Amino acid sequence: MNTPAASTATALQLENVDFSYAVRSEGANSQLYQGFSLRIEHGSIVTIMGASGSGKSTLGRIMAGILTPQKGDVRRSSDFTQPSHLVYADQHPMNDVFPWQTVLQNVRYPLEKLNWESSQRRERICYLMTLFRLSALANAYPAQLSGGELQRLALSRCLSWKPKLVILDEPFSALDGKIKAEITSALHELALKDRMTLVLITHNVADALALGMRCVVIARRPVRVISDLEFQTGFPRDDSSPNYDAMRQSLVNGIRDGFV
Amino acid sequence: MDSFKRNSRALLFFAGLLAAWAAVTALRLIDPIVLPSPWSVARAAPGMLRERLLADIGLTLGRVLAALAVACVIGIPAGLFLGYRKRTYEVLEGPLHALRSIPASALFPLFLIVAGVGETSIVALAAYPSLLVILVNTVSGAALANKRRLYQARLLNLTTLQMVSDVLFYEALPNIFDGIRTAVSYSLLLVVAVEMFIGLGERGLGRGIYLYQSAYRIPETYGAIIIAGMIGILLNWAVTKAQEHMLRWVPNVHEEE
Repeated sequence: MNTPAASTATALQLENVDFSYAVRSEGANSQLYQGFSLRIEHGSIVTIMGASGSGKSTLGRIMAGILTPQKGDVRRSSDFTQPSHLVYADQHPMNDVFPWQTVLQNVRYPLEKLNWESSQRRERICYLMTLFRLSALANAYPAQLSGGELQRLALSRCLSWKPKLVILDEPFSALDGKIKAEITSALHELALKDRMTLVLITHNVADALALGMRCVVIARRPVRVISDLEFQTGFPRDDSSPNYDAMRQSLVNGIRDGFV
Repeated sequence: MDSFKRNSRALLFFAGLLAAWAAVTALRLIDPIVLPSPWSVARAAPGMLRERLLADIGLTLGRVLAALAVACVIGIPAGLFLGYRKRTYEVLEGPLHALRSIPASALFPLFLIVAGVGETSIVALAAYPSLLVILVNTVSGAALANKRRLYQARLLNLTTLQMVSDVLFYEALPNIFDGIRTAVSYSLLLVVAVEMFIGLGERGLGRGIYLYQSAYRIPETYGAIIIAGMIGILLNWAVTKAQEHMLRWVPNVHEEE
């Protein structure tokens, strides 16, 4: 079910990528990625799904340029002229924030360093702190936050300067239902408002369906795309509607087919 | 509650030590020339402080703090920079460890030749090993910095100076404090030792201890030694307080990789 819309611009493209970690036990399966290709369109919200250990994070980090593949091409849109245009948000939110800065400082610091004008900066900080419900925690240090609060801080920090492509690695793992729904819609709102491309890495079907316009399922060693689905249903998605059920069923089938 | 328990236990230990000391001297188990009674030390204290020791304490403390200041002001920025520029450090690592292996006291004659007898050479001698230990700790702290967070920092187009002062400094801060703690004991040790031997006209706690001992004023000798110990405890306490304050943000669990 690949998109025929070739007219849309490419944000990121992996072509025939080979990747393996240097220090791993040898064997036929040591090659994690072999001839792997994937294209991410501008302005799309793509979820990458896979079982744990399937190499999802590795894929995210190859996309972000943190890991360099041994072979193949990672082409990024010529639009991404600054390092800050493309962000990878780590699975552990403590790695995305500066623990020596308070919540407020964490959101403000990137904007200061990227030379945002002070009135715009204030407006953006206010918007994000409200959106991610961090206002009451402005002067707390990350270590004092709960898991969910920390994840919200990491998200708001990564999104603060309106990056053009954001790769979020398991961003909802510590969030409970109600807050997750809020954050999901907040992310959707931000993605549309700031016209950013969003890649969401998750192993949770509900998370993938809550946001994904396209859902790519990968499976292990060497990693292949086993299912690539397009979902046209609008947002916010109601998980009790028959439409949602159909989406869910096709995704679950895609996953199951890949593993048989 | 926990620190209260710990403090009272430490206090109890010191009280026990004092009681044992009093008992041993009261029973005349040891010659008072070797170990005077705690009372005679306490009686000697006011006169000894008035006579010279208050001024000595001030001088010694001043020298120790000056040495530490020099060590921090040079050692921390240099260590952060070397931690950031790993290639440079790889070149310098060998020579640095070689320098660190030379006992600082062995270098004192050289310091005297270069800086002459006086404050400069005392402070320089104490600053030397302090600087090296702070430098080495800072470098390893910077090298241990969380790579994922450094990635986040690199996204922001930081200058080298910003990278070092806004990110690497904090990443290395726990290790920097380890270095400072060691440097405090080095500095006190060397300042007191050098004061003992540097010359007759000089002042300082070490000189005081030496002169009292030479004059066989044993209670005063013990008094001065106890004061030197208290200065050590006080400095260590100050470092602990500074560390608690400056590292109050440190997460309990380091999540990495």
